[in-house]
Amino acid sequence: MRKTLLIAKREFLVSVKRKGFIIGLIIAPIFMSGGFIGIALLKNQVDTHDKKVVILDRSGIVADGLLQAARDYNREIFDKATGKKIKPAWVMEKVVPNEKDPNAQRFALSEEIRAGRLHGFLEIGPEMLHPSRDTNASRVAYYAKNSALDEVRRWAGNPLNNLLRKARLNEAGLDESKVKDLFDWRAIDSLGLVTRDVVTGSIQKAEHKSEGEAVGVPIFTLFLTFTIVMMGAIPLLNSVMEEKAQRIAEVMLGSVKPFEFMMGKILGGLGVALVGAGFYVGAAIFALFQLGMAGSIPIELLPWFFAFTILNIIMMGAICAALGSICNDPKDAQSLALPGMLPVLVPMFVLTPILQHPASAFSTWFSLVPFFTPTAMLLRMCTQTGVPAWQPWAGLAGVVVCALACVWLGGRIFRIGILLQGQRPSLAKAIHWALKG
Amino acid sequence: MNAVEISQVTKSFGKTIAVDDLSLVVPAGSIYGFIGPNGSGKTTTLRMIMNIFFPDQGRICVLGSENASACQDRVGYLPEERGLYRGMRVGELLRFYGELKRGREVRQEVEWWLERLGAAAYATKKIEELSKGMAQKIQFIATVVFGPELVILDEPFTGLDPVNTDTLRGAILDLKAKGATIILSTHDMNVAETMCDSIFMIFKGRKVLDGTLAAIQDQYASNVIRIRTAGGAATLGELPEARLVRDYGQIQELLVAPGGDPQAILAAVMKRSPVLHFEITKPSLHDIFVRIAGPQAQAEAAQPGARLTAVN
Repeated sequence: MRKTLLIAKREFLVSVKRKGFIIGLIIAPIFMSGGFIGIALLKNQVDTHDKKVVILDRSGIVADGLLQAARDYNREIFDKATGKKIKPAWVMEKVVPNEKDPNAQRFALSEEIRAGRLHGFLEIGPEMLHPSRDTNASRVAYYAKNSALDEVRRWAGNPLNNLLRKARLNEAGLDESKVKDLFDWRAIDSLGLVTRDVVTGSIQKAEHKSEGEAVGVPIFTLFLTFTIVMMGAIPLLNSVMEEKAQRIAEVMLGSVKPFEFMMGKILGGLGVALVGAGFYVGAAIFALFQLGMAGSIPIELLPWFFAFTILNIIMMGAICAALGSICNDPKDAQSLALPGMLPVLVPMFVLTPILQHPASAFSTWFSLVPFFTPTAMLLRMCTQTGVPAWQPWAGLAGVVVCALACVWLGGRIFRIGILLQGQRPSLAKAIHWALKG
Repeated sequence: MNAVEISQVTKSFGKTIAVDDLSLVVPAGSIYGFIGPNGSGKTTTLRMIMNIFFPDQGRICVLGSENASACQDRVGYLPEERGLYRGMRVGELLRFYGELKRGREVRQEVEWWLERLGAAAYATKKIEELSKGMAQKIQFIATVVFGPELVILDEPFTGLDPVNTDTLRGAILDLKAKGATIILSTHDMNVAETMCDSIFMIFKGRKVLDGTLAAIQDQYASNVIRIRTAGGAATLGELPEARLVRDYGQIQELLVAPGGDPQAILAAVMKRSPVLHFEITKPSLHDIFVRIAGPQAQAEAAQPGARLTAVN
C-alpha cells in the first residue's frame, strides 16, 4: 500500500503542478458552456442592414396592416440612449399577386432574392379570415434563403394574427375595446410540493421551480461528471501508454507489482479528479449564493455525487489503464480513447429522454447499468421528480461490484500488456488476457 | 550463501520456449556475467529473477527467499531499455525511486551518488535535458541508491564514453567491495572477461556456459592454435585435423578437431610452408561466444533434430 500511495502521490503532483492542469481547470467549463456563453456575448452582434420583403396578399385584408406594423416596428430599432440603429428595418412592399402564373412570379421573386435585391417574400393565401380545409388556400408562406431561422418570419406571425383577430371581431360586430380580455393569456406557475417544517410543524409554501433550475442542475451535473472523468481517468490511457513506450514500466515493475503500479496511477488520477470536482462544486455553490439562488443547491446530493465520482474514476481509470497498457504509441491510444470514453459519452446521448421522463422504465434500467450509473443515476436524482430511495443504493452497489471487477480484470490485462512490445492492440486480445490471464 | 538459485526453470511465450530447463547458482558477493546473443533468453531470465515474469516450471530463490516479492526491495534492477520520467527533475526522480524501494527518505544517498558519479550539478535538471550518457548514469543511480544487496545490470555501459565507462565500472566494483552481488548482462566480452568472477551464457533458452573465465577457457583451451606462416592463410586449407576459423591477416587461428594432435597439425603445416609462429592458446570469451552462437552454430542448431549441448 505504501508503494501504491507513493506512486499515487507522484502521479497527483505531476498532474496538478502542470500549468496545463490549472488552465484546463478554468478552460474546461468555458468549453463545456461555450455555446451558451457565445450566445450571450454575441446576442447584440446582429445584421442591421434593412430587409426588403415583398407581400403577395391574396386575401386582401392583411397586407396594409402588415405594412403599418412594419412601420411601427421600424421606429423601435434604435438605441434609446444613443440613437444608434441596433436592429434591421423591415422594408415591406405590397405587390399584386400574379394569378395567371403564380409559379413564374415566385421564381422571379426568388431570383431577386438570389441577386441580393430582396430579402424574402410573404405569400398570403386567399382564405385568411375563415380557413377552409384547403390548406393551400389558407396558407401563409415565407420564402427566403434561410427562412426557417429568419427573423422576419418570426416577427410577422404576431401582427398577422392580431390583424386577423381584429378582423374577425369586426365581422362579429364586437367592439374590440369591450372584449379586450378575450385574448388574455394566463401562464401557469411551476411550483414544487408543499412541505411541513420539521422543527415548527408549520406547513411551508411550495417553492417556485424555474425551467432553468429543472434543467440547469442536471445538465451541470452531467457536464461536471464528464469533465471529471476526462480529467482523472481518460489521461491514464496516454500516461500508461507513454510509460510503456518509454520503458519506464519495466523499471517500475522492478520495484512494485503490476497491480500496485496500476492502482497507484488510478489513485493519482482520483486525486486529480477530486481536486477538479471540489473546485467546480465549490465554485458553483459560491456562484449560486452570490446570485441569491442558494435554494437551488441540491446539498443532499453532494455525498452521492462524490461517492459516484470516486467509484466512476476507479472504474474508468482501471479501464483506461488497461487499454493504455495494450497500446504502443499515441496512434494506438487515440484509436482506443473512444471505446474508453463510451461509459461517459452514452449518457449524454440519452440526456433528453432521461430529463423528460426520469421515472420511465428506460431511464430506470439505463441508470442501473453500472457503467452508466454514476452519470445517469445522478442525472435522474437531480431532476425535480427524483428517484425512489432504493435505486441510488442499488446503483451504488452495482457500481462498487463493477469497479472491483474492472480493477481485477484491468489488472490482469495491465500485467501482460505493459511489458508486451510491438504487438498491435486488440480489444479481443485484451478480453482474452482479462479472462484467461 | 547464494544470492540467486534457479532450479530447472522453463518459461514459454506461446509456442516459443524462451528459457528451457535452466539451473543456475549465483554466489553472494560475486559479479556474475550473463552473456548470450540477442533473443537467447537473458532478459527473460533477469525478469524472472525480478519477479516480473513467473516461470512456467521450476523454482527461483532470490536472497534466500522463494517469495520474490518479499525481497524485491533488496534488489536493484537496471533494465536494458532505459526508462525515466522525462518531465521530472533528477533529484526528485532519484528520491522517488529510492523511497519506493527503501521506504524512507534517501536524500543523503542521492546526494552521495550524484557526487560519486560526477552528476551533482544536474540534480535540478529535468531528465529530458540530459545527454544520453548522463541519463544512463542517473538510471544507474536510481538502481543502486537504496543500497541493494543484489544488483542486476542489463547492459550498463551502453551509450557511455570511455571516461564514464570507467567511472561506472569503479562504482560497480565498489558495490561488490561493500558486499553486494552483481549480475551483469552484457554483450561486451571484454567487460565480461575483466569484471566477472563467473560467466553464464545462454543460447536459445539453454545454458551453454557456466563457470569462471579460467574454467571456461580450460574447457576450450586445447583446441585452438594461433599460427603464422610464410604462406599465410592460403597454405592452411584442408588440414587433416584442424580447420581455419579466423584469419587476422598476419595471424590465423585453427580449431583443432576433437582428439586432434596439435603436433601432427604443426608437422602438416610445415610441409606446406615455413612456420613463423605456433601457439596453442586459450580462446578469448569472444571466440567462445562466436563458436557457440556464431552463424555456423546457428545453422547447426536450426537443423531438424539438433540439440544444443547444455551445461548443467
